[in-house]
Amino acid sequence: MKKRLFTFLSLLLVIASLSACVGKDTSSTESKESKNTSEENIDPLGSFSEPVEISIGRGIDPNYKFDGEDTPENNVYTRWLEDQYNIVTKHEWEATAGEDYEQKVSLSIASNDIPDAMVVNETQLKQMIKAGQLADLTDVYDKYGAERLKDIYDSNPGLLDNVTYDGKLYALPETTLPSAPLTWIRQDWLDELGLEAPKTLEDLEKIAQAFIDNKMGGENTLGIVGTSQGGALSSTFLTSGDHFLNFSSLFFANNAYPGIWVKDKDGKAVYGSTTPETKKTLEMMREWYAKGILDQEMALRKSAQEVLVSGKAGIFFGPWWSPYNLEDSIKNDPKANWRPYAGPTDSSGKINSNETTGSTYIVVSKDYEHPEAVIKMTNIHVSEKDASYEEVVADKQMTSQEIPLFMVMGHGDQLEYAVTSTQKHLAGELKLEDIDKVNYGFAYDLAEHVKNVKKEPYDDYNIQYWDRAGDEAFFTHLYAHLNGGSAFINADINYVRSIATAKTKTMELKWNNLKKLEDETFLKIIMGNAPISDFDKFVEKWNEQGGEQITKEVNELK
Amino acid sequence: MLLPGIIWLFFFNLLPMYGILMAFKDFNPGIGLWKSEWIGLENFKYMFELDDSKQIFRNTIVIALLKMIGNLVVPLVFALMLNEVKNRFFTRSVQTIVYLPHFLSWVIIAGIMLDMFSISGPVNQLLTAIGIKPIMFFADAGIFPALVVGSDIWKEFGFAAIIYFAALTSISPELYEAAAIDGASQFRRLISITLPSILPVAVLLGTLSMGNILNAGFDQIFNLYNPLVYSTGDIIDTWVYRAGLIDMQYGLATAVGLLKSIVGFILIAFSYGLAYRFANYRIF
Repeated sequence: MKKRLFTFLSLLLVIASLSACVGKDTSSTESKESKNTSEENIDPLGSFSEPVEISIGRGIDPNYKFDGEDTPENNVYTRWLEDQYNIVTKHEWEATAGEDYEQKVSLSIASNDIPDAMVVNETQLKQMIKAGQLADLTDVYDKYGAERLKDIYDSNPGLLDNVTYDGKLYALPETTLPSAPLTWIRQDWLDELGLEAPKTLEDLEKIAQAFIDNKMGGENTLGIVGTSQGGALSSTFLTSGDHFLNFSSLFFANNAYPGIWVKDKDGKAVYGSTTPETKKTLEMMREWYAKGILDQEMALRKSAQEVLVSGKAGIFFGPWWSPYNLEDSIKNDPKANWRPYAGPTDSSGKINSNETTGSTYIVVSKDYEHPEAVIKMTNIHVSEKDASYEEVVADKQMTSQEIPLFMVMGHGDQLEYAVTSTQKHLAGELKLEDIDKVNYGFAYDLAEHVKNVKKEPYDDYNIQYWDRAGDEAFFTHLYAHLNGGSAFINADINYVRSIATAKTKTMELKWNNLKKLEDETFLKIIMGNAPISDFDKFVEKWNEQGGEQITKEVNELK
Repeated sequence: MLLPGIIWLFFFNLLPMYGILMAFKDFNPGIGLWKSEWIGLENFKYMFELDDSKQIFRNTIVIALLKMIGNLVVPLVFALMLNEVKNRFFTRSVQTIVYLPHFLSWVIIAGIMLDMFSISGPVNQLLTAIGIKPIMFFADAGIFPALVVGSDIWKEFGFAAIIYFAALTSISPELYEAAAIDGASQFRRLISITLPSILPVAVLLGTLSMGNILNAGFDQIFNLYNPLVYSTGDIIDTWVYRAGLIDMQYGLATAVGLLKSIVGFILIAFSYGLAYRFANYRIF
């Protein structure tokens, strides 16, 4: 018996080692071949002469409805990529976008089994660079990067430097459109109660109280809705890309900047979460929570957005693009008139915000033979779509669900241009042909469709002057741009930048623990599970457990 | 006959032991575990510096102990009580109904529980109806362990009772008949016949569950908890999951997991000794 077991095991070993050899052999010959072909063809937007396959790890939205039989792996866009450019996208794995996706990526990294390309976050990028799993994109970016792609990165200085180590470019970062949290309010409720739009924190508190007292959203009307389970209270310097449904606005209105590194009065770096201003805001939020102004189940809800959809609440904080997530709310209640207001303001009347940084990256495995395919896909993504695209995709606007390796990419002034050109077109001041279609293709699309959904008066964005059915595919885009985007670009926002935008050495090991300490303490203080004096204990502990050392390191960064 | 077991043990239990090395290394997935740099006991040092480690060990033991006691006592009492009911149709249907939750996954039960105990859920509606202020059950670190233990017992007691039912049926009816003739009351028969007869089974189950003491139930807690209840609800497994997979602190997570294994091993050896002594239970 023993002997047989031994033979069986050794047989297994032999098979395993054999297959490993075979794998190595094929890959080395293939990479030689690919080198030969790549030297022949250096048109950034040209088609590959032979089909090039790329396997990606993909985050998908299970609620997204594709047309007909289409899937995330095989849809209008991927078929067009294949027909037009000979790029065949295959999915190594799929995971639900969000937490599930992040886990799957982390698992891939830890087991060193990564797809040819995928979209990762900052921590994951660092880990992959450290592990030597990534392809050096310097040469292929130089050679294959289309002019427009390079333009975009040049217009966002420092972006590529952040992902260059020892002179090697390891990733393509997303570009961030400027963003700041706005206060979104149900205007129809305000009008019904005869209230004015809020400017200060006091106004906001009164409005929330009025909504609750008058049961505007039914028996259990909620005040200000915010973060759900796993959600952050405020945006941080590591993941600051979005302000959607968190409480950043309340902090900013108190001149507090939790989660980012700011200068104190002596010009030294200090962590925003440990400042007296943050304590003051927490004290205020604690009061608001006790009064019922803040959602009683904040931090416990599976999805805070659900509350908005069901019409139970009339106030939340979110960036200009929030209407993309309000579609169902409007569908359920066509009268739901969500309007954005810049603010609340601080005591001196200023509107503050931290400046967002990009937080997702396209990375390419070092074992992938055609890194240029990824550059090309990005070229195609940012370039004006060619005629074949119009033919295949027609009027539908592609989203992150159809486009593999989707990231936000654009000139810094893209939003402003899109909003103003659409407004001018509506007012009859700008002809469609005069819109810069080459550089701002989407702005052209918006202007082209705007008259289908926007009713007169053209400069009034209240919901009754929209015709959702007129062009459903474009309604949300236009509604977000005109309603949210115009409020945002017209606001005079005082931006505060974080001194550090990446992890320092001590942070690598100790940041997670510190962040956990912070999240836990802050939530407990707000929800009344801990006294406000715990804040001072938190600051002490925070410094003890590595914060002091990290602050020193951040000060050296300057 | 032993062969399949050995193969299974080798591939699923012995081979992965190699991964323990990660606790002593600065693991770099790109170059593999073996080539990663040795860092000695650094991870262990940091682990003992963290407030978390004391907390998660304490939480794990408290929750597991409570579960152990509850899962021992409740099914036993339930089986004894149901055994006294003479309507067979009734006992059968009750048995079937109470063991059903065992087959539901924690994902489902947790979803139901979160809704039930939410601020506008049925439980709080009941409380307000009798004039008590609504309670945020899942935001209260004091209540959380009770919810965890309670729901675990609710889910498992019906299934655990099956063993007791089996033990109960093996008691010779002659004993009861003789006792009845001698004039023993129903309660007397319970104390003097039923209990002593199934006590060995209870002792055996109790000692065996001791080896499991550090497994306080990952699935369950993972689906129920949130940052507000970390202080009493975060257990070793959930912490290791977060540190290892979410935060990518592989070495640290492995070190904590390893410590759990060592303590678990000691407990298993200990409980085996107990089972051997008191219930005459042996493997070898």
